[in-house]
Amino acid sequence: MTSLPQTVKILSGGESRSDDQIIAAHGRSSAGAGAALPGAEDSPLVIMELLQRLRVKDVMKSQNIISVVRTDSMKFAQNLMKRNHISGVPVVEGSRLFGIVSVNDIIKALEGDWIQDAVQQHMATNLVVLEEDMPLAFALKFFQNYTFGRFPVLNKERNLVGIVSQRDVTRAMLKELTREISKLEGRSPPAQDAPARSEGALPFYAMRQFAVVHNDLQSAGKAANEIKKMLKDAGVDPKIVRRVAVAAYELEINVCIHSLGGTVTFILDTERATVIAKDRGPGIKDVEWACQDGTSTANDWIRSMGFGAGMGLSNSKRVSDSFDIQSKVPSGTTVMCEFNLAKKEG
Amino acid sequence: MNISDIVKTLDGTLVAGGTSDRKVGAVVANDLMSDVLLDDSDDILLLTSLASDQAIRTANIVGAMAVVVHNAKPLPQTMCQVADTLGIPLISSPLTKYESCVRVHDFLAANG
Repeated sequence: MTSLPQTVKILSGGESRSDDQIIAAHGRSSAGAGAALPGAEDSPLVIMELLQRLRVKDVMKSQNIISVVRTDSMKFAQNLMKRNHISGVPVVEGSRLFGIVSVNDIIKALEGDWIQDAVQQHMATNLVVLEEDMPLAFALKFFQNYTFGRFPVLNKERNLVGIVSQRDVTRAMLKELTREISKLEGRSPPAQDAPARSEGALPFYAMRQFAVVHNDLQSAGKAANEIKKMLKDAGVDPKIVRRVAVAAYELEINVCIHSLGGTVTFILDTERATVIAKDRGPGIKDVEWACQDGTSTANDWIRSMGFGAGMGLSNSKRVSDSFDIQSKVPSGTTVMCEFNLAKKEG
Repeated sequence: MNISDIVKTLDGTLVAGGTSDRKVGAVVANDLMSDVLLDDSDDILLLTSLASDQAIRTANIVGAMAVVVHNAKPLPQTMCQVADTLGIPLISSPLTKYESCVRVHDFLAANG
């Protein structure tokens, strides 16, 4: 792998930027400190979560990249694009990216009669590139902002590691959405001819998913308050409402302050309410220890905001009828709390 | 003890969330929100030093009847907005939390 040549400028968002600026922009996005993801502002939460979770490297094409070398002719590039039905080819030697030849460059070459010239004379060197660790939301934004059909992808060392096209993004999103839907199918609403509900069961089914951003304490708690409102509006016993809300709130705060971010999903069916908090890491080394009262890894800043007393997991467990926690370092933690709605509260 | 009694007893000002007819059912004086969530009482009056949105959100989760923030701490605008949205009376008091506890205790002991 070799690095990007100095002559290649990197543009992002329509502005000229240095390599360092690109890294800084990426750093802010991956930290996710409250900033909305570009391109995801108007998307449903499940899609927002996917756009945040998936990285450019998850969807890019990294093998058999069609490319030309600097000394190839524009005519050769034209034929290559025609044969492979693509609108541009990178100019690459080893993994060093020198530029890109697009359909527009070919049209200009045909008009100007320089189609036999070497590509290095006419290729674009002001390139818009993506970094492999950027959230997919950035790729979507780039496709919205620019007319290019594909973007080269670089790693942190500035080596070319792949190409991402709109088709790659669409394919990956469909695959992930199918997987999410399959997961939810196990919790689908009962069919019309389902067995009669037990006494006191509620005649509805609802599901909401909330994105939780790392360290965004300003917003943390919104999901729990929404969940409380949903339960209240559904006429659930106020004592159960309070227990569900407490668990949802504790889990939401946990995802916010202890993880890299994640989701809180709330499922309400005829007989039970379920809160599932799922994060993207770093996972808990000793789950048993973490579930004990008063154990916490919170820092002073978190404590100054009124949290980090080490009661989150134990509180959630205390109020739930059923509690389950699965954690893996570094991939993340999933906590599920279930509540029996038919249960008579004392 | 209702909202008006709380304001008067604690030399406070009702700054957001509106008022209500609810009466104090229990008093919780705490700055750790997880501790507040542990309490199962109804109609909690939350006495705290935590001037943040989370004090109001926690109060809403436990169905608190009001929140008092002490030492005349400046209250963030967003905290007042959350209080207005959720309808939780938010009172600012110049007293220390300890002094508030004493006065609320005395009031409840005298008036029930």
